[in-house]
Amino acid sequence: MLKNLFKHSILIISVFLLAISCDKGEPAVVHEHEVFTRVVLEVKKDGEANYKKYTFEVEGHDEHGDHDDDHDDHGDEDHDDDHGDEHTEVELDTNSTYHVSIFFYNDSDPDNIEDITLEIIEEADVHQVFYEMTEIPGFSIAAASDDTKDSNGNPLFLKTKWTTTSETSGDVVAYLIHEATSKTGSTRADFGGATDVQIEFEVHVE
Amino acid sequence: MLHFIGKIIGNFFYRPKKCNCPSCSKLTKSVAGISLLATGLLFSQDCNLSLKGKVIDLHDNTPLEGALISIVGMNENVLSNASGEFLIRNQCKGKLNLKISHVSCEDYLTEFNLKKSSSKNFFMEHHIESLEEIIVSENKLKDLSTTANSYSLSQLEKDRFSSGNLATALGSISGVSNLSTGNSLAKPVIHGMYGSRLGIVYDGVVLENQQWGLDHAPNVDLNAFNNIRLIKGAGLLKYTGDTPGGVIVLESSTPKISDSLYGKTIINGMSNGRGLNIISSWTKSFESGIYFKAQGTIKNNGDYSTPNYILSNTGNNEKNVNLTIGRNKILKKLKINFSYFSQEIGILRSSHIGNVSDLLRAIQSNKPFVINPFSYEINFPKQFNRHYTSSIEYSARNSSNGKWVVKYNWQKNNRKEYDIRIGSNKYNPAIDLSLNTHNLVSNYEWTKPNVSYDFGLFSQFQDNYSNPDTGIKRLIPDYVKVRLGTFFTASYSINNLTDFNFGFRFEHINNLVQKFYSNSRWNDENYEKDLGPYVIKEILSQKLVKRRIIFNNPSINFGVKSGIIPSHEVSLNFFYTQRAPDIAEMFSDGLHHAIASIEYGDPFLKSEIINKFVLNFEKKEGNFQYNLNPYFTTGKNYIVIEPVGVEQSIRGAFPVWEFRSISSSLKGFDIDLSYKFNKNITYKNNTSWIEGVDKNTKTPMINIPPLTTNNQIQFSISKWKYFFGSITSKYVFNQNQFPDNNFYITIIENGSKVEKLVDISTPPNGYHDLGIDLNWGPYKLFSNKISFSLTFDNILNANYRNYLNRMRFYNDELGRNIMIQIKINH
Repeated sequence: MLKNLFKHSILIISVFLLAISCDKGEPAVVHEHEVFTRVVLEVKKDGEANYKKYTFEVEGHDEHGDHDDDHDDHGDEDHDDDHGDEHTEVELDTNSTYHVSIFFYNDSDPDNIEDITLEIIEEADVHQVFYEMTEIPGFSIAAASDDTKDSNGNPLFLKTKWTTTSETSGDVVAYLIHEATSKTGSTRADFGGATDVQIEFEVHVE
Repeated sequence: MLHFIGKIIGNFFYRPKKCNCPSCSKLTKSVAGISLLATGLLFSQDCNLSLKGKVIDLHDNTPLEGALISIVGMNENVLSNASGEFLIRNQCKGKLNLKISHVSCEDYLTEFNLKKSSSKNFFMEHHIESLEEIIVSENKLKDLSTTANSYSLSQLEKDRFSSGNLATALGSISGVSNLSTGNSLAKPVIHGMYGSRLGIVYDGVVLENQQWGLDHAPNVDLNAFNNIRLIKGAGLLKYTGDTPGGVIVLESSTPKISDSLYGKTIINGMSNGRGLNIISSWTKSFESGIYFKAQGTIKNNGDYSTPNYILSNTGNNEKNVNLTIGRNKILKKLKINFSYFSQEIGILRSSHIGNVSDLLRAIQSNKPFVINPFSYEINFPKQFNRHYTSSIEYSARNSSNGKWVVKYNWQKNNRKEYDIRIGSNKYNPAIDLSLNTHNLVSNYEWTKPNVSYDFGLFSQFQDNYSNPDTGIKRLIPDYVKVRLGTFFTASYSINNLTDFNFGFRFEHINNLVQKFYSNSRWNDENYEKDLGPYVIKEILSQKLVKRRIIFNNPSINFGVKSGIIPSHEVSLNFFYTQRAPDIAEMFSDGLHHAIASIEYGDPFLKSEIINKFVLNFEKKEGNFQYNLNPYFTTGKNYIVIEPVGVEQSIRGAFPVWEFRSISSSLKGFDIDLSYKFNKNITYKNNTSWIEGVDKNTKTPMINIPPLTTNNQIQFSISKWKYFFGSITSKYVFNQNQFPDNNFYITIIENGSKVEKLVDISTPPNGYHDLGIDLNWGPYKLFSNKISFSLTFDNILNANYRNYLNRMRFYNDELGRNIMIQIKINH
């Protein structure tokens, strides 16, 4: 009887294995659509036609902030890459006003670069840009008159007016905040929410 | 195989003729289909055949004298002699329908196909008393192990935690704690181990759900089971060999063979979370041994609250169904089971953060950023988990006290995690994993008075599918896993005083993994050298690697238990286990929002080798009882996840955690004490201490439960016959053994840049939690019995945080909760 039982068991198990031992299909590649891989600041001095473009990039997963991949393959831009700790310097003239626009892109598929700024504008109520600064005397950032506003009339700070007076310099951190608990404030903590983008640059007013 | 199962089912659910023997009212007979053709009708030529038979008592193999053997439809009767033998002569070729009758037993009907003169043994189920013994011993819970201590939840404890989850219910056992993410997601921790180092066995099969994450709770409803027990160590090689932490066994009982309908309904109402649960189970059994069981659980809770604020988006709901149909016979059992578990759990809204600057702000703030009015609504982030089980089990006993069991079990687990997302993916889950597991197990048990053996073969096929429609790179890859193996366990008893236990298990594990690596990770880790040959495709700056990874893992245990002085027992158990690394440990790749960390697996990990010694001194009788339980564990290739640096990107800073293996040592003790002052007052204490060390760096291991002591006074009042209660005080000390994984980030504060410490390591202070349980009943209510209980958790509304709760960065633990429970036994 014992022998029979094991014969049965082994038979059942082998039939079972045979039935299920088929190979698995190849998994589909995932293209992430909501990742921010590039942030662009377009800085235009009032009264001038040209603007300066500053690009901040991350390539995929950017380990330890110390890689040195050459990533200047996006053509026509004159920009400084922000790779980890490298600092971008935004040069401004004294006693001027600037019109600055911030744009967010996903360029993880070079053939299909997505402008996430459009989604941010579409979902204005749950997004907010905030510029946090160290003390930079005489320098200020305010919402521009053509800025996008959410349903409560709060400007998103996608388009801003930068005003300079005397020579100075300092650090600025720009945040894109998702589902901020408050749409206004003077420190990052005032806004709550989750940080989608956090870029740092230096402002030099000369 | 389907045919085989069909045949079993067919034979089983054939309802037999009702037994008409007066002396066997309780027992019914299993009789195979009876041909209606009388043998006399067969036009056979050869009518000189004879059948020589022997009637034997199935249970003790003794011959049965005086059994009357008659051929149905013919006037031919013979009696068995003293050796149980009989002879029927002059029969024609064809089918003989025999009826065998014996005093104090029911008739046994059988068909015999006579082709030539033959002899055959006929087994009768004879001794009713001994049959009842079998029934009793089958229904009685056998010890999980003869040498390793098993701990169980009493029916009352189980009911008390019916509103909670498996981990919280087990948390009342010494040496068991919870690793949780918020209030509703908790996984049990035994002797400092959790996840895949613990086995959860339900109805004889290991639960296969995604268990690699800290925020993955076992997808099983404790209310669907009658008994919940555990062994602290890999003491059940029959079920698992790779769970050195322990094995949790959930069992449902088999109904008695009788005509009855019974059930139980529990209704819980909770103040904290304004929750309502209804749990009901029903069993209908018939004299034929056929039975039906149905069990359902509905749970609905809104936002929980701490003493000072509401935890927004922490509601949860659960809908579970468990259906069983089976047939019990004395010697054969068939059980078909289907269960469905579904759980939707809200994750604290404020815990969804973007990067470590957000985490720092959350740690600095003493309460969550988002506190909304109470709501039952579950928004993002949330989890939605479903687990389906279908199983079929057949067991047969034979005359030599052997039992053969074959079991097939199919589990399908789907786990969806929803984050707060933007754009068109807003309503899509961020993680969508489907895990399909087929198990086939067959074993044979022999039981003799002093010895028992169990030998089995098992096979498992598992397929994990990570849905790419999430639009987020897979946190764990697609894989196929085949597990094959065998086990043998033996136990000996000498004079009922000393028991020995030995077990061996061997597992062959074959993983076929297909994973996309991003080119940047590939280059950083220099994977080209080792993994280059396995690349099958390159697309969108990613490489698809297809690799087969094989592990062959033996596990051994050995135990001895002895009663040195009467009422005292001492036992020593040794467990040697090898655990293959989890797919998650080898291939994790992604961002965890709750602690803003990026986690990476190590594809070259080896099997973990763990040696565990558990000593037990126990006194189980008298007013003063105790159980002292020191243990010691060493681990080679012990897999842990540790921070390796901070990644900077335009999304901000993220600490990077990577899996790696260390040499570990875990030691500790559990103490259970109880003293019965008088028949009304009993004092109980359980205390657990554990220390875990990385032997190479001499640093403490992470997530080790702090010293905990529970003191309980159980009381009843002589005048109030239907009342008893208990007061429980739980004191959890400050954990001062922890690894320092802190790091600094730069932020802008008051107009200048400052460096800030992100303290993710320091455990919160110790705490004290006081609870009261009051129970009344059971009272008669028509034909039912009704009991009530009133439970107060954290009655002092104490404010504290828990080291083993990942939400400790965001919020306090729950405030006071009052639960009213109504229990009806139908």
